[in-house]
Amino acid sequence: MATDSDDRKDRPTGGVSRRDFLTTVGAGAVVAATARGASAAPKGPEVVEAGKMMEVELQVNGRGYRLLVEPRWTLLFVLREKLGLMGPKPGCERGECGACTVLIDGIARYSCITLAVEAEDREITSLEGLMSGEDLGPVQQAFVEKDALQCGYCTSGQVVAVEALLRKTPNPSPDEIRTGCSGNLCRCGTYPNIFAAAGRAAELKSGKGGS
Amino acid sequence: MKFGEDKMYYLEGMDLPETPTPGVSPAPWKKTHAVGEPTLRVDAYQRVSGTAVYTSDVSSRDMLFGAILRCPHPNALVKSVDVSAAKKLPGVRAVITGDTPGVNLDWPYEWGSDKSKIFDPHCRFEGDEVAAVAADTPYLAADALRAIKVQYEVLPFVVDETKALDPKSPAVYDKNKRIAKKENYVRGDVAKGFAEADVVLEEEYNVSCQIHTPLELHGSVAKWDGDQLTIWDSTQGVFFVQEKVAQVLGMPLSKVRVIGHYMGGGFGSKLEPGKYTVIAAMLAKITGRPVKLLLTREETFLATGNRPPNHMKLKAGVKKDGTLTALDFSCLGTGGAFQSGGVQLVDWLIRDLYTCSNVRCESTDVYVNAGQTRPFRAPGHPQGAWALEQMMDALARAINMDPVELRLKNIPTFSQARNGNPPYTTTGLKECLEEGAKAFGWKEKRSKKAKSTDNGHIRTGIGMAAASWVVGGGGPPSTIVLKLFSDGSANLNMGASDIGTGTKTVMAMVVAEELGLELDKIQIENADTGTTQFATRSGGSKTIPTESPAVRAAAVEIKRQLLDMAAQDLKTDAAKLVIKDGMVFSSEDSAKKKKLTEISGFKNRRVLLGIGYRGPNPSGKTVIPFTAQFCEVKVNTKTGEMEIARFVAAHDSGRVMNRLTFENQVIGGVTMGIGLGATEGRILDRNQTGKLCNRNWHDYKLPTALDVPLNIESTPVDRPDSQANTTGAKGLGEPVTIPTAPALANAVYDAIGIRVTDTPMNPLQLCRLLAEKKRS
Amino acid sequence: MLPNFSYVKADSVKVAIDQLSSKETRILAGGTDLLGCLREQIFSADKVVSISRIKELTGIGKTSDGGVRIGALTTITEVAESAIIKEFYPGLAQAASQVASPQLRNQGTIGGNICQKPRCWYYRGEFHCRRKGGEECFAFNGENQFHAIFGADSTCAMVQPSDTAPALMALGASARVAGRSDKKLVPLEKFYVLPSVNVLKETVLEPDEVVTEILLPKTDQGLRSSYRKVRARRSWDFALAGVALALSFKGDTIITDRVVLSGAAPVPWRSKPVEDAITGKKLDAATTSKAAEAAVKEAEPLELNSFKIDLFKGVIQEELEAISRQHG
Repeated sequence: MATDSDDRKDRPTGGVSRRDFLTTVGAGAVVAATARGASAAPKGPEVVEAGKMMEVELQVNGRGYRLLVEPRWTLLFVLREKLGLMGPKPGCERGECGACTVLIDGIARYSCITLAVEAEDREITSLEGLMSGEDLGPVQQAFVEKDALQCGYCTSGQVVAVEALLRKTPNPSPDEIRTGCSGNLCRCGTYPNIFAAAGRAAELKSGKGGS
Repeated sequence: MKFGEDKMYYLEGMDLPETPTPGVSPAPWKKTHAVGEPTLRVDAYQRVSGTAVYTSDVSSRDMLFGAILRCPHPNALVKSVDVSAAKKLPGVRAVITGDTPGVNLDWPYEWGSDKSKIFDPHCRFEGDEVAAVAADTPYLAADALRAIKVQYEVLPFVVDETKALDPKSPAVYDKNKRIAKKENYVRGDVAKGFAEADVVLEEEYNVSCQIHTPLELHGSVAKWDGDQLTIWDSTQGVFFVQEKVAQVLGMPLSKVRVIGHYMGGGFGSKLEPGKYTVIAAMLAKITGRPVKLLLTREETFLATGNRPPNHMKLKAGVKKDGTLTALDFSCLGTGGAFQSGGVQLVDWLIRDLYTCSNVRCESTDVYVNAGQTRPFRAPGHPQGAWALEQMMDALARAINMDPVELRLKNIPTFSQARNGNPPYTTTGLKECLEEGAKAFGWKEKRSKKAKSTDNGHIRTGIGMAAASWVVGGGGPPSTIVLKLFSDGSANLNMGASDIGTGTKTVMAMVVAEELGLELDKIQIENADTGTTQFATRSGGSKTIPTESPAVRAAAVEIKRQLLDMAAQDLKTDAAKLVIKDGMVFSSEDSAKKKKLTEISGFKNRRVLLGIGYRGPNPSGKTVIPFTAQFCEVKVNTKTGEMEIARFVAAHDSGRVMNRLTFENQVIGGVTMGIGLGATEGRILDRNQTGKLCNRNWHDYKLPTALDVPLNIESTPVDRPDSQANTTGAKGLGEPVTIPTAPALANAVYDAIGIRVTDTPMNPLQLCRLLAEKKRS
Repeated sequence: MLPNFSYVKADSVKVAIDQLSSKETRILAGGTDLLGCLREQIFSADKVVSISRIKELTGIGKTSDGGVRIGALTTITEVAESAIIKEFYPGLAQAASQVASPQLRNQGTIGGNICQKPRCWYYRGEFHCRRKGGEECFAFNGENQFHAIFGADSTCAMVQPSDTAPALMALGASARVAGRSDKKLVPLEKFYVLPSVNVLKETVLEPDEVVTEILLPKTDQGLRSSYRKVRARRSWDFALAGVALALSFKGDTIITDRVVLSGAAPVPWRSKPVEDAITGKKLDAATTSKAAEAAVKEAEPLELNSFKIDLFKGVIQEELEAISRQHG
């Protein structure tokens, strides 16, 4: 339960009063945006009991968030239902479709099989983090240009996976693209357009904007 | 922009299509400006930025999460459900079962007369609903499900359709009701046909059960405001969800609003509403809070439909000159525990694709204790094509004829299987075969192949297959409301869902074509029973041919109003006016002209409303799309691995409305066909528990990025069908997926000389067949 | 949705082991396997001990005896892309690069990969099978196309799912295991437990033990290692049949060799018959064909998996021929 965390009195709450903290989080929102690394609570081997909540600080799309989570909550659940970031999608909840793909420290991972508590102190980037204001990022732009989507539900994960690929391999070969996209299912079957979009995104990222 | 500012959004230098007089439908477009161009999706931004709100994304602060407890047995009676522990868990706000007052309503299945309740005390398949909960988080909801104790009386079951008619097998209903449906079709005399044949071949073919599994889970969000219910549903047709919910809950349509602006794939499995929608509504009513109920992936494997498994036998006769003399087909299939189309349309291509005077088809749909079927992208057709198109390949080889030639020799110009043999408005099968073969280099590859001595352990083969799709011409009803604003921008209001095929984009292109608007000045409002007009479900490859003529009619209606209003200003006859460059001109006196935004009636009213209806299809004619697909495969004869080296798909779907989304549909349909042919198949624990073994995406294998070719080449046969409707478009989504699997099988035969009669052609099967061949 | 568990982050191996007090305590590293098992209630966890932040468990580096150490938390991607691994143990790099999907390789650890639970659909499904303490193995009379053709011993027909384990075993690797009492080094060869020995556990690890690192021995000049995997589809899938080879040549004669099969048995299956068939031989057509036959001679296929006999023959022959071509 969101308000049931009386055993946590000994933990610092980083300047936010306990009441405020719980109220806001209980309502499904974020406590406060904080500066990076502002609260470095000492990490001891402290056991969080089942069903109790623990405080975590997540760095998502360049902003810090402090919130209470149950240890079992996945990063996907927290991003969507607590932070309201609906880019990452649930598809299988077991690492078999890729719709929930996010970057963690720049590397593509499935947020559905990552516990939120395990993502603490890491840089998390969701689809939303690839935008620049209301403008699309280069990978998103490439997906639009190459019509690399149909229903669009897997697209968020596909875009993030391609982003991860290009950060590591700025000029991927066709085989590297295929492999880079092989952790994301598309039931509409747009794979060849996704490959084309990845190629186009590489161009856009390297400044070859023109077609 | 302030009203009255001298700004408007019309494209310059563009002649608008002629505006017909009232009651006359518009003539086919001569030259198009917008339609047919490769055009980016109008909602691409929303879909790549994450701002599109799918049902899964609907969220509110007081929202609860629902979950459903399902029967773990294929056949069982629910003896008791103990929810006391579940109810006591913190954060659990409601638990409902068949015993909850007011909850256990009748659930009418879409097809047939088999009855069920929301929580039926007799669970006839693994996955039948038993209870449901709503809780503060989905985790707590899952805890609550785990805390519910159910006592079942487990009954004997049958899940193997090939044993369902065996008198010794348990029956889903009773021993006298093992068959859900039997269908027979006869024309001519097959015995006579076989007697005339030079070659007669017979083969058995089996297609595994394929499961839709769209990426977005099936599910709904339900919210009440007093007696007004709002539902967000991941559906292919909001109006059908509205009707079903109103029917089951006994509510007027006016009180049920269903919204489905974005949905994450359906492929037929979201044509019908599910019990989950009504359950979400009940939970929301009981708790007084909105409830989001998304099924788990495992539930979608069990209980949201499938393409039925089919066991087919086909005997075919052909003369040396390629004349088909007889086709004799039988098919066994199952729609699961409720009548739902276990053999539906499986025989259609045998009846109707090729000219043949003597045809007999016999289909038997049996009950088994498994989840029911739902229409799946071209229901029945890929299964029938798996048999027919492999048989055509074998016949061609037997008479030493190019398989493309054999098909070209047997192209009908009318539907043989329909009453009265109506002619096709257009029949592009010949063009598909010829243009596809040319794009693929079929002849060259065939002669090269004949000469080559492929002696490594990786063997190459080429194959092709063709198809038509039983419908795909669309038709009434459709009602479109188009609003033209004073600055020339527009709002298109349509009931249909865009399930990812690019419907919205094509409709905006039609508006742009007819009114001379810039595409991005058209706002679209769709798939909401509260704000848009009734539309049929987006399925059957009929959305574009259904909706686009209605959109055109609405645009024409607006032009008529503009001309009438301009005629008053210019004191002339509306029939003498034309619209060009954002101006209305008199065709007789070029001095008589007026800027569209200056027309006083329009300026005063500030909005014009055009209502368009879909007119009837041509009487006495049949409108269907055609396709031919060509491929090259490499088979590793040591391991049975198959790689698709090349794939070319030629399609006649009338006018190509948007080249970009057209090609995307082709790519997607072929990929789904690759899944059917090479990777997918439901596996039930036939001998022991009857439970589903592969209920997740690890065990049930969708094709991945590494299982498809880098390119899937689309060769559109772009022939507007002027008889079909006012935009000349026919359907595309479904025909694509029909011939893919048999085209691959024919290529595999060409590579290794083995006729693979069962799907999926994975290394498990190919390795076994290769070894058997080696041993024999 | 995951059931409840208590949770603790350990910042050292010692702390982690102190937390491993009960049988129901589980170690979380990458989480790709554990969380799936917990979600599906294959087993329960009253406590999850996260070791993901323990620095001493990361990294790949040379050891003083010329071998290589891989920290247990090293991700599969890091193994696949490591320059040292690619140069000296290409078979391991190949195996790692074919694990699951890119995201799972980024997330899954080498320690977790060798300790992963079976993927048998009866084990993972709602079946109270023998490995979960039940009375029967459903695979013997059930849908057993993906199951074992060796080592099932009428007890459990699951196949050990790891790709890296057979490659490591072929390369003679050992796992360092830390426990409450002391640390020990277990050769991979002795790490896995056949169902006939104990059907309730897959490895020799005790509940209070954890793999901390993998040690690879120094490679001889002329050692060739490789891993080849056939799967039902090309991403995400475990091996239908796979073969890890580590062969040493003198001239064109094989002097020592280890051959380990994946997708074959409840443990990574070292194939002595293949090794015997090629030791001291040149890899000519007769030898590769004999080796392929020898590989499956003792196989005990079930109703639906006899294709694996031909598949193993095919893949072993193909792989030996490929090595022979490269070598010659």
